[in-house]
Amino acid sequence: MANERTLVCGVQGSFHTSTKFFDEAESDYFGELEEALIHGDPITSSHGPKKGIVETARPPTLEIFPSWPMRHQHHQHPTVEQRKSEQSVESSEESGSVKDTANTTSTGVIAGAQSQVQCRGRGATEGEAQKGLVVIMANGAPQRTGAQQPPPSAPQIQYDNSHTEKKKIIAGSTRKDGKLLDAKTLRRLAQNREAARKSRLRKKAYVQQLETSRIRLQQLEHDLQRARTQGMLLAGCGASGEMSSGAAMFNMDYTNWLEEEGRHVSDLRAGLDAHLIDNNLSSIVDDFITHYDTLFHLKARLAQTDAFHLLTGLWTSPAERCFMWMGGFRPSDLIKIVTPHLDPLTEQQVIRLCSLQQSSQQAEEALWQGFDQLHQFLSATLSSEPLSTDVGADVSNYAGLMDIAIEKISSLENFVRQADHLRRQTLHQLREILTTRQAARCLLAIGEYYRRLRALSSVWATRPRDRALIGNETASPNTVTDLQTIQQSQYAHYSAF
Amino acid sequence: MDRVTRLASQRAVVIFGTSSCCMSHTVTRLFVDLGVNPTVYELDEDPRGRDMEKALSKLLGRNPAVPAVFIGGKLVGSTDKIMSLHLSGGLVPMLRNAGAIWV
Repeated sequence: MANERTLVCGVQGSFHTSTKFFDEAESDYFGELEEALIHGDPITSSHGPKKGIVETARPPTLEIFPSWPMRHQHHQHPTVEQRKSEQSVESSEESGSVKDTANTTSTGVIAGAQSQVQCRGRGATEGEAQKGLVVIMANGAPQRTGAQQPPPSAPQIQYDNSHTEKKKIIAGSTRKDGKLLDAKTLRRLAQNREAARKSRLRKKAYVQQLETSRIRLQQLEHDLQRARTQGMLLAGCGASGEMSSGAAMFNMDYTNWLEEEGRHVSDLRAGLDAHLIDNNLSSIVDDFITHYDTLFHLKARLAQTDAFHLLTGLWTSPAERCFMWMGGFRPSDLIKIVTPHLDPLTEQQVIRLCSLQQSSQQAEEALWQGFDQLHQFLSATLSSEPLSTDVGADVSNYAGLMDIAIEKISSLENFVRQADHLRRQTLHQLREILTTRQAARCLLAIGEYYRRLRALSSVWATRPRDRALIGNETASPNTVTDLQTIQQSQYAHYSAF
Repeated sequence: MDRVTRLASQRAVVIFGTSSCCMSHTVTRLFVDLGVNPTVYELDEDPRGRDMEKALSKLLGRNPAVPAVFIGGKLVGSTDKIMSLHLSGGLVPMLRNAGAIWV
């Protein structure tokens, strides 16, 4: 029965410190106090209904011993002691989750100073007795008992008194009484212990769950923070609110892609430094190229829903975006950039590279012309209706106009895909023309070039602006020299590459 | 279908497109830049254009069927194919073989 539990709670010394302590001592105290209760029971049995309620309480619940306050009302005991025990209970409760105990329907177990308390006696007829015990059970913190703010001193004192009285009773009890109830109470004792153990385990599991959730939440928050900063860095602050979901997803994918690319770069560098045989290096190189293919694949997928996003380059850094060609790098430019770093080249390679550059230039030009024609069509369509008329006056024409325009825009996706196709083909052709080691150096050069562009973007973004405030004349030369120094340092690195 | 093949074999380089398709314009432009004089058929301006378009999509295995490029009477493909071919350096020899260019 839970009576002994209530006793335990009421004991001043027993509640000193930690949950653990209580657990260890629990069984002892249970044993001791159980006896006390047993003997106390007959005495209080005169209070019929209360006893009945006591007996109907379920094991894991906290039994509130109703009769004590009534019986010991006249006793005075230093409330300090009671408070102390409360406080110790309080401190031991810190780790546990404390639920509001005022409600008579809350359940819990006291074991190990668990904070959950049940007010037994759903009828709540016990009034102040219950309140008193609830207060104690609930760690004595009045605020936790919610609505029912019991008069602090009286019930607690009574509780305490009753305990001491019980002790006296134990001392003077007859053996006969103890033996009579032994079987039943032993069983109850066991049940209580079992219930206490179970709820301790439950609490442990719950706390475990909370911990893992907390860790997971932290990780999620961290990831979110990182993605957000990456997104902002890449996308520029203003546009993020207007992005379509596909675009936002793509930005995240791109961020991941960049991370992966970093790994590929370091793998490749390590491979080159280690002077791997061509076969091994080749697989690393091919992996890298496949990685680029993945990016083109991602872009093709986004092109179906949001070609504008790719073309406006909001997924890249500002510097990259500024010199972007149709949603990415310009193939012939890339060839121009990497060629100096591929020495020594055979004559045949030189010829092939030149022809590749020329072909891509021609392809780019043709693509650009087609794109420009698209633009002309669109302009023509949008300006076909007199621009000065009130749109509202001629809604059907306007709608028709929009339809045509939408249709023209639909081929935008094709252009982005063709541009990416060109880029992809260029990379594959480079792989064809170059030896494995040259291809490795080529990919490293490309990676490093864009890394520097991105670095330039962030340096630019964080450059000191106070010079601009001083005056325009002084501002520009300074920023220009800033850029020059950056460029020079980059070129210095670059030529050493 | 026969009309398509007939028209395709009449010239060295034949491009089927539509006036509103800007990609057709791209392909045409590329050939022009290479020194080729391609023959372009705008399917939307042809009375039998729809049938031809259907035939072409069957040939190409995709939709839209335009632009469709024939070199030397043989179907080469659409923009993708042409671009890949050009970057790999295979387009110019093909054109030379078909007699579209003499350089």
